[in-house]
Amino acid sequence: MTDGRAPGAAVLPQNPLTSPSGGLQSVEMDPVEYTLRKRLPRKLPKRRNDVYVNMKTDFRAQLARCQKLLEGGGHREICVHGLGLAINRAINIALQLQASSQGALQLAANTSTVELVDDLEPDDPDEAPGEPMTRTRNNSAIHIKVYYPSP
Amino acid sequence: MEPQPASFLSNFKRVGRREDPDPHPIPGLPADILHMRVKEGSKIRNLLRFATARMQGPGQGGGGGGGGGGGALRQVVFTGSGRSLTKTITCVEILKRQVGGLHQVSKLCNNTVSEAWESLRKGVPGVTICRTVPALTILLSMDPLDPQEPGYQPPQRDPHGPPSQHMAPGAKRVRLEEGNRELPSTSSV
Repeated sequence: MTDGRAPGAAVLPQNPLTSPSGGLQSVEMDPVEYTLRKRLPRKLPKRRNDVYVNMKTDFRAQLARCQKLLEGGGHREICVHGLGLAINRAINIALQLQASSQGALQLAANTSTVELVDDLEPDDPDEAPGEPMTRTRNNSAIHIKVYYPSP
Repeated sequence: MEPQPASFLSNFKRVGRREDPDPHPIPGLPADILHMRVKEGSKIRNLLRFATARMQGPGQGGGGGGGGGGGALRQVVFTGSGRSLTKTITCVEILKRQVGGLHQVSKLCNNTVSEAWESLRKGVPGVTICRTVPALTILLSMDPLDPQEPGYQPPQRDPHGPPSQHMAPGAKRVRLEEGNRELPSTSSV
């Protein structure tokens, strides 16, 4: 609880202005700096015809993979999953598959919420009084079934 | 001097943008249904405050925004396209958690966007550009919908659901059911 422990340089110049009683209070209020680490989303079931879309892989490669499953792989239906930012890409892939099949493929979309866990680790474990924490947040997801309707 | 193709549109100014939505993405909807159009800049809290006030009726909901007689609405449609797709899904997911027991049908389609561009130089005619953007339409209903419709989802029982739903047996079993989405929910309210 000494003044020297406040690592945030931005807080110290404000002390004479904001807290007339002294620097001690503002040291207590100084938020501990954390590093936020995002854990990977929970493991999902993976069948042969499940495609999990991400934003790192090339779009055309993911589209080609879906086309290969439907045409060469002999699957009557595949499931395209997208989480968060990849929702747009999953929808794009599904609509392009449908467009390139001249209407033979049908789409059935479902939405869900995925719970994600973040780890908060204090930057300086020796000095800072903070403890490692976890925080959960929700993110939206979409699951699109792309299939040939049974006659 | 012909303009280069790369900088073709830099000599033009966009004067109009019209988006033609798919007229009937979900069959059998009444014309006067509450239609929430989610745009790129829409605030989720504004959309949800309005939608929950209308769905929970003037008596229950905290806000008095649900004006007009007739009580609470049973159905609502959310649409979004392009960059607001994610926001549309997030809105629907939050609303499903706030208002329990909602049946859902989701439809994907392509919207046509026609943009009118006007030249900055005199004497050059304007151009019209047609593009397609992916769009999403989600119907939420308190009344049961056709389970055979593609994109149908039955209501989920949520451990953080509204207090009106009574959950006696404890949270563990509910969590199991929530994780296993393939099972059709046997009992509802």
